[in-house]
Amino acid sequence: MSATVVVIAELVDGHLSGATREAIGVARSIPDATIVGFAAGSAAPSAAAEFGRFGIARAFAAPDPRLDTGYPAAVARSAASAATGAGASVVVVGGTTFGRDLAGRLAVAWNAAAATGVTELAAVEGGLRVRRPVFGGRATETRRLEGARAVVAPRPHAFAVPPESPANCSVETLPPADLGPLAEPKRTAMESAAAGSGPGLTDAAIVVAGGRGVRGPENFHLIEELAASLGAAVGASRAVTDAGWRPTSFQVGQTGRTVSPQLYIAVGISGAIQHIVGMVSSRVIVAINSDNSAPIFRVADYGIAGDLFQIVPALTAEIRRVRGLG
Amino acid sequence: MEIVVCVKPVPEADTRLRVSADGRTVDPENVKFVLAGYDESAVEQALLLKEANPGSKVRAIAYGPAPRTEEVLRAALALGCDEAIWVEASGDAASDPVSAARALGPSVGGLPHDLVLCGKQAGDDESGLFAGALGELIGAPSFGYVTDLRWDAGAGRFRFQRAAEAGAERWESPAPIVVGLQQAWNDPRTAKLPAILKSRKAPIARAPAPPAPGDAPASRPEKFELPPPRTGAKMIDYATPEEAAQKLVKILREEAKVFP
Repeated sequence: MSATVVVIAELVDGHLSGATREAIGVARSIPDATIVGFAAGSAAPSAAAEFGRFGIARAFAAPDPRLDTGYPAAVARSAASAATGAGASVVVVGGTTFGRDLAGRLAVAWNAAAATGVTELAAVEGGLRVRRPVFGGRATETRRLEGARAVVAPRPHAFAVPPESPANCSVETLPPADLGPLAEPKRTAMESAAAGSGPGLTDAAIVVAGGRGVRGPENFHLIEELAASLGAAVGASRAVTDAGWRPTSFQVGQTGRTVSPQLYIAVGISGAIQHIVGMVSSRVIVAINSDNSAPIFRVADYGIAGDLFQIVPALTAEIRRVRGLG
Repeated sequence: MEIVVCVKPVPEADTRLRVSADGRTVDPENVKFVLAGYDESAVEQALLLKEANPGSKVRAIAYGPAPRTEEVLRAALALGCDEAIWVEASGDAASDPVSAARALGPSVGGLPHDLVLCGKQAGDDESGLFAGALGELIGAPSFGYVTDLRWDAGAGRFRFQRAAEAGAERWESPAPIVVGLQQAWNDPRTAKLPAILKSRKAPIARAPAPPAPGDAPASRPEKFELPPPRTGAKMIDYATPEEAAQKLVKILREEAKVFP
């Protein structure tokens, strides 16, 4: 039996975001799935047509300017209409703040079971089976989503982005939804994350984080230069943010952000449990620390015991060399 | 302002996790369940808003099994919540955040509510589904990842920040709203001993869980696994920093395959 899977787009500058491409990868992992796209907001018709780049032949567009802010509660109404119109059994959203906010809303609006942070999924008799890390990556649970409908959000970077295979995508336009009280909230301002690495931290494929071993804010450029050579986000331990060397938005850990990049490089971080729970589910962990008995080496895959003030500049230079950055 | 704060009992942060006998869930035996993490921030924010808006009332509500759910409600009372309502769960029902929202929806909707607060995600399942599901059920706007939540009494609007990947967004909305809180104005307070003693005898209202329709979509736990213990890092031998860098880059490219 083939399932129809609707992928909800998230737009960046009017185009399908990286998280949306990953969501298409999630849909592709369901055998024999017929994938249907959905996009909302003024740019929806052209964005919906972009699903064609991934071989998706059908998409819905809700070209409603009231949905331009990507406010999940309002998008849920149109997304539910698209899912019902497509006869879908699964809806996939991106593993982002938008996707996760939307998932709960949509579970009720579309009468479905839901799971977020999913790293594996399989179609089983009477529903979907999902695996997902819980307790800050200290355990993994397998859940069965029972019923005819499921909403799924992946954990960032858990699914491969599919290669492009262009096809024509026919776009169906949805009428504006009745938003009722959901039309009341207004977005009054947006602050770009470009200045800090705060929110970028949670969706970066590589994170380089600095700890107390960096010794002071004047040395943090070593972390930033290594991150720049890799196109990585910059993170920090609580010791660093508590000392004010970097803002709290940089903090990785129990009281900060939880990250699960492909590669996490911990520099001068001893590895307090507080920090570990925020990064332990990263795919590959590298630790650089002067103390070879530091607990960080117990959770890391690869370690370099040594002086970070020597190792890090050498590593940055080597990465720049192999990447042809001079 | 009428505030409802939804809390969930979760294992204490430093609990050594074990797998239950049937292999499906975390073993609750000898585990201390507490009010923790973002839920603690949600209670703190509720109390701060109450203090800033005289005449406000904070009601804590929770869905879950005995005795842990009653205990976190007592913790919420000890911190300063005015009333507590317990909706008892049976079996695994409370482990599904959407089912929890369905169970609490009628009770929350029936309480006076200008603001419904919960943590942006629970400390155990980390789903972040509850606020959105509850918002849809009670027909109110919902926002996750919220910080700097304020009530502008003159304008009759909440003003707050929402942390998104592209940057922080500022929002405003009239009441009522459902908020999944990321951070309160300050660190959560701790309860004072007299308040803790008083909370032990405080009444906790019981509300029935609405009967779930037989075919209601839900998720159920099938398996709970702990990762194999990490064996420790493969340490890189080197004579010079340059050699260490070259060896690490080679490993990341060829063995770990994570290098761009």
